[in-house]
Amino acid sequence: MTMQNKRHQEIVTKIKKIMKNVSTDLIELHKIPVLDLPKVGYDNTLWSKEKKMLTIGDKTVKISPDTIKKIPTFSQYLVMANAIRRLIEEDMESTIRGMYYATLSTVGDEKNKEKFWKNQDNSDDAIKAIELLTKIPREEFSVTSKPKGMISGPIKLRVGGDLIDCSLGSRATSQLIPTNILDVEIEDVKADFVMVVEKDTVLNNIRKSGFIQKYNAILMTGSGEPDRATRIMVKMLSEKWKKPVAVFADADPWGLGIALRYKIGSESLSYDSERLVTPDVKILGMMFSDIYDYNIPEVARLSASDEDINRANDMKKKPWLQDKQWQKELNLFLKTKEKCELDAFFKHGFKYLAEVYIPTKLRQVGII
Amino acid sequence: MRTQLTSIPKTNEAVVVEKNSSHTNKNINDKVNKIMKAKIKYNKKAESEFFVDNSALAGFTGERILYMAVRELIENALDSCETHHILPDISISLKIYDQENDLWIISCQDNGIGIPQEKVPEAVCSFLTSGKYIEKQQRGLFGVGLKMIAAFSTKDTDNPIRVWSKSADEANEYFFELRTDIGTNKPIVLSKKNTANSRDSKIKERHGFRIETVLRARLPPVTKNKIYDYISQTSIINPYANLTFESDDGKINFERRTTVMPNPAREVLPHPAEMDLQTLKKAISNFVNQRITLQGVLSNSFQKLSSDKAKEIISLSKIETKSADKYNEHELINVVNVCKNMRFQSPNTDHLSPINQEIMTTGITSEYVIVVNKEISSNNADKTQENRNLIQTKILKPALTSYSQRTCVVNNRPMIIECGIAYGGDISSFKLFRFANKIPLLYDEGSDVAREVVSEVEINKMGITKKEVKEQFFNPQVKTDRTVELLPLHIFFHICSTKIPYKTAGKESIASEGEMKKYMKACLSDLYRKVSAQIRKELKMKDTENRLRLYKHYIPLIVDAISDSINVDKKKLSDSFTSLVEKHVKKEDFSDDNNHIYEVSEIDNKNTYKNSAAKFEIKNDKISTSKKKVRQNKNINKTDVKQQGQTTMDGFNKKGKRQV
Repeated sequence: MTMQNKRHQEIVTKIKKIMKNVSTDLIELHKIPVLDLPKVGYDNTLWSKEKKMLTIGDKTVKISPDTIKKIPTFSQYLVMANAIRRLIEEDMESTIRGMYYATLSTVGDEKNKEKFWKNQDNSDDAIKAIELLTKIPREEFSVTSKPKGMISGPIKLRVGGDLIDCSLGSRATSQLIPTNILDVEIEDVKADFVMVVEKDTVLNNIRKSGFIQKYNAILMTGSGEPDRATRIMVKMLSEKWKKPVAVFADADPWGLGIALRYKIGSESLSYDSERLVTPDVKILGMMFSDIYDYNIPEVARLSASDEDINRANDMKKKPWLQDKQWQKELNLFLKTKEKCELDAFFKHGFKYLAEVYIPTKLRQVGII
Repeated sequence: MRTQLTSIPKTNEAVVVEKNSSHTNKNINDKVNKIMKAKIKYNKKAESEFFVDNSALAGFTGERILYMAVRELIENALDSCETHHILPDISISLKIYDQENDLWIISCQDNGIGIPQEKVPEAVCSFLTSGKYIEKQQRGLFGVGLKMIAAFSTKDTDNPIRVWSKSADEANEYFFELRTDIGTNKPIVLSKKNTANSRDSKIKERHGFRIETVLRARLPPVTKNKIYDYISQTSIINPYANLTFESDDGKINFERRTTVMPNPAREVLPHPAEMDLQTLKKAISNFVNQRITLQGVLSNSFQKLSSDKAKEIISLSKIETKSADKYNEHELINVVNVCKNMRFQSPNTDHLSPINQEIMTTGITSEYVIVVNKEISSNNADKTQENRNLIQTKILKPALTSYSQRTCVVNNRPMIIECGIAYGGDISSFKLFRFANKIPLLYDEGSDVAREVVSEVEINKMGITKKEVKEQFFNPQVKTDRTVELLPLHIFFHICSTKIPYKTAGKESIASEGEMKKYMKACLSDLYRKVSAQIRKELKMKDTENRLRLYKHYIPLIVDAISDSINVDKKKLSDSFTSLVEKHVKKEDFSDDNNHIYEVSEIDNKNTYKNSAAKFEIKNDKISTSKKKVRQNKNINKTDVKQQGQTTMDGFNKKGKRQV
């Protein structure tokens, strides 16, 4: 607790310093204040060969109330910073949606009005900006997202004072991964390895089959795009508990993208990769070649959209997908223009995925 | 003419008897028979009496009497000047004469050609006596308006109608005191004298006409406003006229803004497709005693009808050749029938008198409006003459105007449709102006074809979407479903024809006849396209302005966020922030805006090129500047936003014109 208090104090000090700089610029120096923060996005994301992850470049953006386009952004950042300061001083926590509501307002008069936030994306961006300005991840200032990651298997978590045993009834249900991940400690892990799947529907199917008990595994999903807590959980299990991690996603560029979030990170969070990315995870499936190797019938295949094709072409050039195996897979996809979901294995029977496909894949890399 | 009035002399006994006997023969019910015998009398009524009884036919109803009087007098005055290409100088006055009895004295003086002295009494008093019964584009047509004023004055007051006339054909000015004998449609001349060189002389010019009369009427605010509208709109469509209006609220002047006058309308022969038995008989009677063949009559009395064509008509009618006046009606109706089924060339249009681009543009770029000054009314009695005026004129200068014209044929009569639009600048709201033969139409807008046209031409022809307009021009006071009515836009329609398809005799709204509406829509679409680039640019500017206004509202949010977090002098913070922001923001904003203007004007050139037939005009005092120069001006402050816009607009205009 004292550790957290100290951290909290640090954030409040940083926010106050930002405010002080702005007011000094305005009152004493009579110059337009500037908020200088690292640029986040594809054009400022670099591939680090040594770290094997995406990292942020050294481009910055200057947010300054000197144009009518930027003043709303400038005020959004300051209003959000102040709201975060209040949240901490009141010793409360909030979701990102909560922060959006807490700072919601309209600007202007009767005749000329606009919303302070156009939508929640704006306020999420502002929260991100505070992370960048203070260099402190939002979990540390008690702003979290709604939990959506799930975990199941022989692992015990301690959240605050409460113990959560994820193996309890693990054939029937999964635990949500708490998003206030800094309050979460891993108490004990009895599993041999960790398996991450793209979607909760697939997770449920595998869990129900008794996979956890049979192979002594931990099952996890980010329910699509994984949140930070899920990524951090994977990283902890891989690096602190030295458990091998396998990732399964749909055989389409989108699914591959999600699998890569765990392995190399993402452009929008490249500034936080050190905390979120687990370069050691193994992406095992579903490969495009599996569509044919496992005889997925044509009726269960989907044809690729233009967007899929563009994305695959793009991926082919990425430095982290240069090894022969991936190039072969992507070329196959670009040739056949067919994609497939993991759920398609259900066509071969409800247990096929958990009892045939996944064990085969795991065996190939020696995890089981 | 079934009527029960018995005071009229010429009772037509013969008809009564005939009718009665026919009823008796049929042996119908005795009771009915008795009633018919007792009540029915067939009388002839004098035109004057008929019109006084049915004054609504000419628009003279209750509250509109003074409006109609002002209108008729102005129209007559303008016609009298314009026919002879005289730049009109017209003063009209409407003042209370006897408050208790609702009596008003109305006068109108012009510098037209006047009326020869021997014709004055009839011209003023006798209904259906007019020099206007010809096929020609004119404001008035029926010879009713002035007479109506005279008859109402006679009917409601004991004041004579006072008239001064100095005819262009005579050297002298004559003064008359007149009344109308309503029962006989004859003028009563109370006095007549030569006032040339006398103290009573009123007309200083070489010729002219003045009338003064007393009318009994009420002037509710609605009518008063309509009179104001009528005069100011008259000055828009007749910018070559100098109009003065005096009332108890003050005296205002609508100055002449151009000395260019439209070519006077000319009389034209009727088109043969419009021929009926009456016109044919009338044509023949024009040649009576001239030993002329029917072929000659036809080719001389109708347009687009050559001698050969006349020969063809006669042979198709299967009638024998004889002297024109020898044909009977049965033979003549054959000729009419043949003409109805024959194809002729479209009628001439050169006899019409549109006001054309130059005059229209002058009118709409310096649009006069009357401003009623409410504040001075009660407590400031001791102001100077000028300030005592409750009404004043104001000139609206739009940011841009455009003009387009189409000619079409409606009911075998040519029609010229002129349309102008004025946008932005001093214009702050939407308004539709309707004119027919150079007179404003003020009532019944809802049922006018122009209204439909405006509703049906899509606003996206201007290159803007309904959504954009609703966002940028939102005005809580304007409640309308029609997006176009949110724009600061004035649309002017002017229809010229020898016969305007009015919906009512009151000449207030126009019906959609034939392809008229189609052509009107084409005109308006043209204009929308022509101004599209400018409107888009204005929208951008407006967006910038809106955001600039919004900008200030963000400052308190920032100040609050800071002062909430740290100890700071809130007022000092706010003040220094505001002043800094004002200095810096505009500068940035500008470079932004320049780009927009240029992007737009390039697109614009293409547009103009496409519609090269359409003419384009922007009146602007500013000299055009090159892109380079505009760049140098980046540092100019906010008030210059508009000027800069205009400058570039002007620059574009030059380019645009070259391409046209």
